[in-house]
Amino acid sequence: MPTDTKRVRGPEVSQSPSLFLCKTAAKKSTASNDARVDGRQRGQVDVRSVFVRCGLISQAKGSAYIEAGNTKLICCVYGPRETERKDETDMKSGRLITDMRFAPFSCRERGSWIQGSDEKDLSLMLLESLRPGVCLQKYPRSQIEVNVMVLENDGAVLAHAVTCASMALADAGIEMYDLVLGCSIRQEGATYLIDPTFLEENGCNLASGSRENLGSLTVAFLPSLNQISGLQSDGEMGEDTLTGGVRTCIEGCFKLYPVIQQALSKAVRRKAPPSES
Amino acid sequence: MKHLLINLVSRGTEMNFVGFRSDVRTLDEPTWLTKNTMAAGFKTAEPLEYHRSFLKENCRPDGRELGEFRTTTLNIGSISTADGSALVKIGNTTVMCGIKGELANPPVDAPNKGYIVPNVDLPPLCSSRFRPGPPGERAQAASQFIADVIESSAVIQKEDLCIVKGKLCWVLYCDIMCLDFDGNLLDACLIALLAALKNARLPEVTVNKETEAPEVNLESRRSLNIHKHPVGASFIVFDDSIMIVDPTAEEESLSTATITVVTDEEERLCALHKPGGTSLSGEKLQNCISRATTRHKEVRKLIDKVIQSAKTPK
Amino acid sequence: MSPMKLCVPGDRLCSTDDCMPGTGVYLRHGYIYSSLAGYVLRKNEGEELPVISVVRETEAQLLPDVGAIVTCKVTSINPRFAKVHILYVGSTPLKDRFRGTIRKEDVRATEKDRVETYKSFRPGDIVLAKVISLGDVQSNYLLTTAENELGVVVAHSEAGAQMVPISWCEMQCPRTHAKEFRKVARVQPEYLQA
Repeated sequence: MPTDTKRVRGPEVSQSPSLFLCKTAAKKSTASNDARVDGRQRGQVDVRSVFVRCGLISQAKGSAYIEAGNTKLICCVYGPRETERKDETDMKSGRLITDMRFAPFSCRERGSWIQGSDEKDLSLMLLESLRPGVCLQKYPRSQIEVNVMVLENDGAVLAHAVTCASMALADAGIEMYDLVLGCSIRQEGATYLIDPTFLEENGCNLASGSRENLGSLTVAFLPSLNQISGLQSDGEMGEDTLTGGVRTCIEGCFKLYPVIQQALSKAVRRKAPPSES
Repeated sequence: MKHLLINLVSRGTEMNFVGFRSDVRTLDEPTWLTKNTMAAGFKTAEPLEYHRSFLKENCRPDGRELGEFRTTTLNIGSISTADGSALVKIGNTTVMCGIKGELANPPVDAPNKGYIVPNVDLPPLCSSRFRPGPPGERAQAASQFIADVIESSAVIQKEDLCIVKGKLCWVLYCDIMCLDFDGNLLDACLIALLAALKNARLPEVTVNKETEAPEVNLESRRSLNIHKHPVGASFIVFDDSIMIVDPTAEEESLSTATITVVTDEEERLCALHKPGGTSLSGEKLQNCISRATTRHKEVRKLIDKVIQSAKTPK
Repeated sequence: MSPMKLCVPGDRLCSTDDCMPGTGVYLRHGYIYSSLAGYVLRKNEGEELPVISVVRETEAQLLPDVGAIVTCKVTSINPRFAKVHILYVGSTPLKDRFRGTIRKEDVRATEKDRVETYKSFRPGDIVLAKVISLGDVQSNYLLTTAENELGVVVAHSEAGAQMVPISWCEMQCPRTHAKEFRKVARVQPEYLQA
């Protein structure tokens, strides 16, 4: 790795204390079948309750904060403004730019300041999920920037990033066809865990059993248009399981929808009503 | 055509009267804008004039007095993935500090010490003036400043971070991230760092005598020993003469010099940062330092109060 | 007054049989949907159907458009054109700055070939201009001041004082009484009452 001269550097190697845990500390997960660690039930559309707020960041055109369980994200929208590079100027439609990053302290292992490939992947998936929702042809020659910062990662970050970003866009007054909501599930055999936590996502307390139908699925959904704008899945899943999973995610999105609508209305109301002109 | 109006014709006739007091500019000058957008228009087109017109009346566009800080709020321990964390707001400026401890070999030249690695990041999220990519000058300077304050004030004695001399020590990664950039970054960073350090609890580490491998017990955690409490107060110089405390981003961009004074609880100076700009009389500097010591008391009270309320169960 | 109805993007507002689409909305399958988070506004404008719009407290994302009157600040000049930052579209301030260009031939309507940009604008001047083109991929917004009421509205002299206009092409410093050339905007009396 190239040395980073622009930051204060520490020792060349340092290791996370979690590598040296005492053996006794490793707890066996209680083998109860249906209950999840945080008390939710497996196989039910039981998303974590979310706390959302718009317009927290004074410098941004629009911003949103979302908290689902311990997962905490903040998103800022800047623009529309002039495209930075002339060769990327599009006379017919605007450009949407996304940047998603994890704060170094957001994960169990300390992350690097330098953007990793997974962050780039997530940025791209976020972009693809949001783009169908935004009326980009209304913003010729301009770019709209969406910046997402994960403050704490406790699972399902992409799904919540999509929701958070679409709220920030709406808060910024960017014209959109619809809101974009995100939801994730973790499939474990015949059962699934909706809106998984970090531990569940990484299969840390996997109930012993079949390795079939083991995977994760994230869906970005336009609730009013009833369209899916993004779908990301990994692991191995049968066709039926996958379609079932997508349906579950959509159900999860609809649970989120009223909360998001309310938060946006609240943000609009906080600003003074328009003058009669 | 319904656009901005300019009352230039009548101005011309008044020329002779205006002539000799033209260096005194008043708020009602930009008649080239309709009334409701007047103030906003003046602000965008002539920011310097706009600020001058307020400072003349000894107040600032946001209603503060020259020596008044913005409301400062603090929240600690909200990030469970970090060993210690704090979120500080000074007005709109929002800074978050997360501390994570890792294990490493002590430095060869100081086998009984550990490491503290502070880094300040200004992501494009916090203001439209920052671009993605490696840290810019502003972030680099802030990181270095924080590192210098840690070094010179000895917030934490690095010896405390040593676990086994020459073998094992703690590395404290203090990652400070700005979420909303509206000026006075350094003060906010220092409060965030101090509060996060006070909030941090590191797991107990023992070394297995047989294997010489460290063993970590997450169940038993202890807090750090904070020796000093450095708190900063930032000032800007406006028009080479007027001193303003706790500047907003706009005030900073119009300033002719910036000064940050860091003091500890014994009213001793830990660091003084004045990167260039207009010169300053000793008397003015003395004023800054005494303002910084009163600020120190206020911030200290805030930190203690927040930590106390975090301890008592709700 | 009843509280105004709020909506978020994607909300179905009404059928096209009931209303005509205004701003902040879009059409889909014969229905009008909101494209903004804001207040729903119905207005009867003498037409058969009321116009339905969604409005926000701040004017939705305005971008400079052809024909719009903009307020800008001159950033640099050279013999062929003046570069400006657009600060306002109409009376709405822009949060981000957009750059524009006023070419030599667009400074005034008459004697175009005798225009000298240095005698028309100086960096720092506040200028009223009209957008004539969004430009192409290579260039900025193209602006014109070739109308009587367009041109310099605020300018500072070399001595630093705000100058007063004395004719359509000259302004005078109130401190030194030195005259400087500008393409001055004229204010028509009928707009003064508005």
